[in-house]
Amino acid sequence: MIAIRQWTERVLGRGNAAITVPVLDGALKSNRLIEDAEVVAEFDAPEDLASDGHSLLLADGARVLRVDGAGAHEVERSFDRTISALACLPGGGIAVALGGNEVRVVGGPHDGRRYDAAGGRRLNAVNALVCTSSGRLLATDGSQTQPPERWKHDLMELGRTGRLVEFDLSDGSTRERAAELAYAFGAAPIGDDVVWVCESWRHRVVQIGGKFSGRAVVDALPGYPSRIAPAQGGGWWLTCFTLRTQLVEFVLREPAFRKRMLKEIDPRFWIAPALTSGNTYLEPMQGAHLKTMGVVKPWAPPRSYGLVIRLDEQGLIRYSLHSRFDGKHHGVVAAAELDDWLYLLCKGPRRLLRLSVAHARASLAAA
Amino acid sequence: MSSSQPILALRKATKKYAGVPAIQDVDFELLAGEVHAIVGENGAGKSTLTKVMAGVVNLTSGEMLIEGRAVNARTPTEARELGIAMVFQETSLIPTMTVAQNLYLGQEKFFNRLRGIYIAAQQFMQSLQFDVDPTAVVSKLGAAQKQMVEIARAVLHNAKVIIFDEPTASLTPEEKKYFFDLIASLKRRGVSVIFISHALEEALQVSDRITVLRDGRHVVTDQTRNFDRARIVQAMVGRDLSQTLYGQRKTSVRSQGRRVLSVQNLRMAAVVKNNSLSVFAGQVTGVFGLVGSGRTETFKVVAGVAKRDFMHGGEVLLNGKPVRYFVPAAAVRDGIAYVTEERKLEGFFETKSIADNVYMGLLAKLRNRLSLVSKTDAAAVGERWIKRLNIRAIGTDVKAIELSGGNQQKVVIAKSLVQEPELIIFDEPTRGVDVGAISEIHQLINRLADEGKAVVVISSYLPEVMSLSDRILVQRMGKVVEEFSALDATEEKIMYAAIH
Repeated sequence: MIAIRQWTERVLGRGNAAITVPVLDGALKSNRLIEDAEVVAEFDAPEDLASDGHSLLLADGARVLRVDGAGAHEVERSFDRTISALACLPGGGIAVALGGNEVRVVGGPHDGRRYDAAGGRRLNAVNALVCTSSGRLLATDGSQTQPPERWKHDLMELGRTGRLVEFDLSDGSTRERAAELAYAFGAAPIGDDVVWVCESWRHRVVQIGGKFSGRAVVDALPGYPSRIAPAQGGGWWLTCFTLRTQLVEFVLREPAFRKRMLKEIDPRFWIAPALTSGNTYLEPMQGAHLKTMGVVKPWAPPRSYGLVIRLDEQGLIRYSLHSRFDGKHHGVVAAAELDDWLYLLCKGPRRLLRLSVAHARASLAAA
Repeated sequence: MSSSQPILALRKATKKYAGVPAIQDVDFELLAGEVHAIVGENGAGKSTLTKVMAGVVNLTSGEMLIEGRAVNARTPTEARELGIAMVFQETSLIPTMTVAQNLYLGQEKFFNRLRGIYIAAQQFMQSLQFDVDPTAVVSKLGAAQKQMVEIARAVLHNAKVIIFDEPTASLTPEEKKYFFDLIASLKRRGVSVIFISHALEEALQVSDRITVLRDGRHVVTDQTRNFDRARIVQAMVGRDLSQTLYGQRKTSVRSQGRRVLSVQNLRMAAVVKNNSLSVFAGQVTGVFGLVGSGRTETFKVVAGVAKRDFMHGGEVLLNGKPVRYFVPAAAVRDGIAYVTEERKLEGFFETKSIADNVYMGLLAKLRNRLSLVSKTDAAAVGERWIKRLNIRAIGTDVKAIELSGGNQQKVVIAKSLVQEPELIIFDEPTRGVDVGAISEIHQLINRLADEGKAVVVISSYLPEVMSLSDRILVQRMGKVVEEFSALDATEEKIMYAAIH
């Protein structure tokens, strides 16, 4: 019966086979605020941002840098492996994920704590760390099958092995809060027991814990959500590292094509979301990736894109910041708000950007 | 080349429908051998003006002159005898007859030799350089070929003036090019052409002179070379808002709530093409577009009144869940109300009372088909809604047909609101409604949005869209092409997006 339904849907282009994507309208209407943001500095391999409320920390390769608004930076810590996630701890110190499979606490009252497993399973692709008000550390473990840098493989394999795990730094215990997530990437602690988690491949933010556990807080996003950062005055900054496109949605419904693509094509040239694009002519061309009179159409569906969404406390979208297809500031994976400046980490061009939140709001109100 | 002698003129032309002027004191001159474009917003009076010339409707006051002689064309036949032919958007050909039979329709003799008609038609079509087989059945022809037959028929009847109402709306780009060649060839034969179009490029490209109408009045007539797009748009929309019901400009907009409706890549024949949009709770979403832009059709699909393409028709998501309605009742049960633009045809039962009409709206919501109909309940519901919407009637048992246009519209709205919808789609909510009722309907729409409902207002009247909406979607050629915040929108910007 299921097979007949699937076949019918494929023929008629309905249900799961309706290759559609949500539109960027309303509060998601595009603008150039990320593209026009000030470039603070460029780095070799930036991965994550964190703020302790006074200064900004940035994970760059195997180093943690302390960065000021002018772009000057100093090395805070160095590690032996690449950092895949970074968080500041309320009592002092930092937590880092190394290579995706180890979480380490450095400095502060819990200095030296190390975790390589949680809930009885080994960590594999820890990509975001965040601390709750009660001092527990939450981590999103994106995939049980692919390491963080092979996220595209996980998407193309329709990975559903993401987890939300919790570390109690005081007693060293661990707990698996949620499993079988479609690439868990970013979490926001809402209360003592409630956490919002981004499920990138399902394009939603889902609530874990509390009365409505499992309910989507933000659903049908037009992009792939990643890390969430608290916003001053309440609410959250939700980063989306790129947009969904009909072409990629189509590929995700074609197992034979995906299988061959994974086997035969260099991942850089897959028909898949990317953090940056337009670097080589070998990249796949999309339907609207066209030049008209020598100008790339700025409204064309992108392969890479820059998008940050401002959510309120209830998860409603208030406004959004964009770097459109014709821009460069794509692949925003982390945000941090400090002193009315919003710092954004664009993994595509490997840049740290900043923009005034008040200015952004004023410009959107005037637009 | 046109001469300076007007072949057709209107002086102080006024046409009123039920006391409401569609055109007022319009002076118009058509020179011999010229192509004259008439442009204006929806409701500007273009169609009425040309229908007057073609004898479809008669002037309330004013006069029409042909070659300086006052005439009175009371019917299309009389107009045709005076040399005026009109080619409507929907062709008036008989689809089951051949091209030749259509050409000579009305000129039949007692005995007709079909072969003779075909030969005459063949020769005539060739003389016009129209490549259409006279033996072909009209239903098998494409849009451009049908238009050729219409034109040929007009020329055959010795038309000196041919009026085209949106001739290119249904044509493909190649057919359009061919059509413009036809216009040029008619001009060479000394025929004067009047050309109504929403596509300004076409007016600028094809015509010798352009007349702009606004709100039923003549605004400007000038040589086409003296116009550019900006000047036409300004003339089309440049009304003084302070003098109208819509004088207040919005200073704030409601913030958007959750997404109630998401339309993704919707397709419906040639009318809706890959259309995507969202509608949010607690906001009025205005939808503007010119006739044929697919606004009504998009929302008719949402409300289950029309069906999207059977294959690859896109998705409609209500509160995040995909829906596909085959009948409006299913949409009503899910909380979608559609207030139709065709209230007399689709909106109410004219011989039924107000109470019965409103109660029928409630019955549509009920899942149980065996629910008993209670006259007492119907009267109570009717009474409640008469008070709530301030419907001016002497009682609940007054028949809908006996009400004024504004009150009829309130009945249609009550019939929808009684269903307690979450998403309400108003299609041309104030068309044919008096000023007092317009104000009340606007207040109601705003109240619904304030209560947190998702409200859509489809309107062809720009000031209405601007005064009501928190965000404005502009549709063109079957899809949303632009979105404005009401704070940012101007009539020029919206119109530019609608026609560019």
